[in-house]
Amino acid sequence: MGRFILRRVLGAIPLLLGVAVLSFLFMQLAPGGPDAMFARNARMTAEQLEQIRHNMGLDQPAPVQLARWIGNLARGDLGVSYSQYRPVSEVIRDVFPNTVLLMAAGLSLALVLSLFFGILAARNPYGLFDNVTSFISYFGLAMPVFWFGLMLQLLFAVHLGWLPSAGMRDPDSGGILDLLAHLALPAFTIAIGSIAGWSRYVRSSTLDQLGQDYVRTARAKGVAGPAIIRRHVLRNALIPFVTVVAIDAPLYLTGAVLTETVFSWPGMGRLFFDSLTVRDYPVLMGCLMLGAVLIVAGNLLADVVYGLLDPRISF
Amino acid sequence: MIDPRPDSRRNAPAEPRTLDDLAQARIDGRLSRRNVIRRAVALGFGAPVIATLLHATSDMAFGVPTARAEDKQPVSQTAPTKPEGEAQQGGTIRAGTNQEPDTLHPWISQTVTGADVYVAIIEGLLAYDATQQLQPSLATAFSIGDDGKTFTFTLREGVTFHNGDAFTGDDVVNSWKMIMNPDFGAFNQNGWDKIEDITIDGSTVTMTLTEVFAPFLSYVGVGRICPSSAIAAGPDEFKQTYGRNPIGTGPMVFNEWKSKEQITLDRYDGYWGDPTKIDRFIYRIVPDDNTMLVQLRTGEIDLIGSASTVSASRLDEALGFDGVTIFQHSTLGWQHIDLKHVDFLRMTKVRQALDFATPSKDIIEKLLKNRVIPSVADQAPGSWAWDGSIQPRPYDIEQAKALLAEAGLTPGADGTLEGKIPTEDPQVGDGEVKPFAIELWFVAGETESERVCQVVAQSWNSIGVKTEVKSQDVSTIWGPEGYQFTENMTGCFYAWYNGNDPTDKFYWHSSQIPASTTGSGGNLPAYFHLYNFQEEIDRLTDAGDLETDQEKRKAIYFEVQKLLHEEVPVVFMYWLVAFPAARDTIGGYQPNAFTYLTWNVNEWYRAG
Repeated sequence: MGRFILRRVLGAIPLLLGVAVLSFLFMQLAPGGPDAMFARNARMTAEQLEQIRHNMGLDQPAPVQLARWIGNLARGDLGVSYSQYRPVSEVIRDVFPNTVLLMAAGLSLALVLSLFFGILAARNPYGLFDNVTSFISYFGLAMPVFWFGLMLQLLFAVHLGWLPSAGMRDPDSGGILDLLAHLALPAFTIAIGSIAGWSRYVRSSTLDQLGQDYVRTARAKGVAGPAIIRRHVLRNALIPFVTVVAIDAPLYLTGAVLTETVFSWPGMGRLFFDSLTVRDYPVLMGCLMLGAVLIVAGNLLADVVYGLLDPRISF
Repeated sequence: MIDPRPDSRRNAPAEPRTLDDLAQARIDGRLSRRNVIRRAVALGFGAPVIATLLHATSDMAFGVPTARAEDKQPVSQTAPTKPEGEAQQGGTIRAGTNQEPDTLHPWISQTVTGADVYVAIIEGLLAYDATQQLQPSLATAFSIGDDGKTFTFTLREGVTFHNGDAFTGDDVVNSWKMIMNPDFGAFNQNGWDKIEDITIDGSTVTMTLTEVFAPFLSYVGVGRICPSSAIAAGPDEFKQTYGRNPIGTGPMVFNEWKSKEQITLDRYDGYWGDPTKIDRFIYRIVPDDNTMLVQLRTGEIDLIGSASTVSASRLDEALGFDGVTIFQHSTLGWQHIDLKHVDFLRMTKVRQALDFATPSKDIIEKLLKNRVIPSVADQAPGSWAWDGSIQPRPYDIEQAKALLAEAGLTPGADGTLEGKIPTEDPQVGDGEVKPFAIELWFVAGETESERVCQVVAQSWNSIGVKTEVKSQDVSTIWGPEGYQFTENMTGCFYAWYNGNDPTDKFYWHSSQIPASTTGSGGNLPAYFHLYNFQEEIDRLTDAGDLETDQEKRKAIYFEVQKLLHEEVPVVFMYWLVAFPAARDTIGGYQPNAFTYLTWNVNEWYRAG
C-alpha cells in the first residue's frame, strides 16, 4: 500500500507539470492581459506603464515567464498577485479555509442525504417514496443554482427571518452557532445538485446489488431486509458511488462561483472568477495548480477507499 | 422604434391574491407562478408555504416591485441625512459593495471601492467636499505664488498617525519621493511628477513646480500622505504590506480585512478633528446585486453608495423597500460612442450625420426612463467649466441623409451607402470606393449598453449605414486585440469618468494617442489618423492646463466644448446618474458626485 501511494505521488509530478504548462499557454493565448486596464487608466503615462510591466515581468518573452514561474514554484513561491500586490500564497491562504468549510458541510450533507434517499428509494422501487424522490431529484438537477439560492434567501432570510441572507459571519456576534446559521443555506444550495445526482446513483447501484444471487441466498437464509442492506448490499453498492464522489469532491474544493457569489461566501470560486476578470495570472496559476493537486489527491484517496471496501482489490 | 422593456409592467399587482390577479399574471407572461403552485401542491406543501413562495417569486425573481413605483421617488440630497430620533453615540454602520477593493494602498489602488475605504483612514493635505470645493485637511491653508509654480501649505499642528508618529513635513517629502520611485510603480504620478523640489520650514511646506500645471491641487493637493515609518520599509515591502494594513491620520483606524468578506475600521480617538460618532464601520463585500438588495432590506447592511449603487433597472424594486431611502445624484461619468478616425469617419459631416441619426432623446426618455442627463460635450452640468448654452442636435434623419450625401455617399445596390474614402484631405473623398459599414462595440455583460447599441444600430442602418453590434469582455476589449487597433470603421459605447478638475487632455490630446497597441493614453480614436481638428484641440487643452485663473480657464473649456460639439469626435450621449441608498435610521450620510463614500464618516450616526 505504501509503495502504491508513493508510486502514485511520483507519477503525479509530470502530470502537474503538464497542467502548469498547459494552463500557462492557454492564459497567454487568451486575448487582453493584466495590463489592458492599466493602459486605459486616465492617469497613466507611457513610462509608468513600461515600469509596471517591467515590475510584473510582463516585458519578458512568454517562455522566460513560464520558466521563471516554474522555478519559483519549485522553491514553494507562487509569486505576487498582479491585482492585490501581495504574495499569492497569502491570497489563497485567506480564502481556502472558507472553501474547505463550505465544502465539508456541503459534502457531508450531500453524502448523508443522498445515501439516505437513494437506499430508501431502492428498498421499494417505483413506490410512492421513490417517485417523490425521483421528482425532487430531477427538480434539483434541472433548476439553476443561483435561482435556488435566491429562493432560499427570500424564504428563510427575508420572509421567515430565521437565517442570515449572506456572508460568513455576523460582525457583531460571530460564535459557532452564527457560523452554522450562515453556513446552512449555501451548504444546502451547493449540495442540492449532488444530493439529486448521487441519490439516483445510490438507488440504481443498490437496486443492482439487490438483484444479485448472494442477496437471494441471504434472503433464503432468513436474513431480514434492513440487515441485508446494512451487512451485504451497502458495501458493494458503495464502490461505484465512491468513484463518483471522488471525481466530484475536488470540484467542491475549487469553489462554486455561483453559490459563493449569491451568498457572498468568501471562497476560492470567487477568487478565481475575480482574478480571471482582471487577468491576474499568478493567482489564476496558483488556483489551477491547487485544483490539480486536489483532483490527483481525491483520486488517490478513492483508490485507497476501494481497497478498504472490497478485499478483492489489492495494490 | 424602441421596444418596451420587459419590466415596463411595473404597475402590475404585487401579490396576486385572487384568481383574477393570477390570470393577469399569466397574461403578463409570468407563467412560473402557476408552475410554482402546481409543483408545490404536488409536493404536498401547505398553503402558507405556497403563499410565501409566491410572494418571493413575485417581488424578486421577476423584478416586480412590492410597492407601486409612483409612491416613492429617489431623493436628491443636498445636506447630510437627518433622520427622526436622537443621534446615538457609538454603534456600527455597515456599507455594502459588490466589488472587493484591490488594495487599500492609495498610490496603487485602481478601484473606486478601494478609495471608498482608504479616505476614512488616510488623509491628504486638502479634501474635496460635496460641492466640489477644496477644504483644509492636513493643511490648514495654502497659497499659490504669482508665477503659478510655487505652492505653499501650512501644515496642521498636533496631528498624529494611527501608530503614534507625529505628522510632519517629512511625511510629505517622503510620500513624494516614493510615488516617484520607479521600483515602487505608483499608478498615479500626475502632478507629483511636476514637482521640482519640496522645502520644509517648520510647519510650512513649499512645493516648487517645473512648469505651471493648473490641475495640480486636484492631484497632489488631495493626494494621500503616508507615514515615513511605513515608507521606510522600501518599495517592495511597502507595496506588499501597507495595502492590507494601512496607517494614516484619518478619523478611522484600520482593524482587519477578511478577504472577500469584509473590511473593519474603528474610531480613531486621537483624531485631530471631530471624532466619529460611530465606533465601527464595516464594509461588506456582497458580489451579487440581488443579495445586496436583500441585505439592504433585512438591515444586514445600512447603506450603499459611490462604487456600488442601485442600478437603474432595479430602481423600482428598491423604491418599494420599507425603511430604505433611495437617493440620486449626477456623476462625472459620460456615456458616448467613440468614432474611430478612419475612412468616412474622418469627415466632419459624416460624424455630424451620425449624431443627427442617434436617437439620444428617445433612448434617454423611453429606454432609460429619464434616469440619466443628456450630454453635449465632456464637462459635467453644474460644474464651473460647463457651457450650458450648447444644445444637443435633434434626432433628424433627413438632415443626416443630406449631410451624408454632401460627403459624397450614395446608396449602393443593397441600400448600403458607399463612396470614396478620404486620403489626403480628411474632408474630401478621393480614394477607393468603400461601403459605409461600421462595427458598434460595447463591453460584454452590460445589458443596458447592449440595448442602447441595438437602438442606435437600428437607426443608423435605416439611413444606409451598415451597423453591426459586437461585444467583448472588459480585459479583452481594452487590450491589444481590442477594436480600437483594427483599421475598420468602429464605434464603441462606454463611459469616461472625469476627475474633479476639468482637465481633459487625456481624451483628446495628440500626446494621449497610444504609441503602440499596448501603449497608454485615452485618445484611442486617433490611433490611425490625427483628428482633423487635432492642432486646435491640442492648443486648447494645453492652454487649459497652463491657466490658473479660473475665469480665463473657463473660457478655454467653453471653447473646447463648442469645438467638440461642432466636430463630433465622439457621439456624446448622456451623463450617468447614481442611485445610492440608505436605511432611514442612518444620519449624516450625504452621497454626491465629487467625493468617495466615507469622506464625511465622522458625521455619520445611527438614529433611534
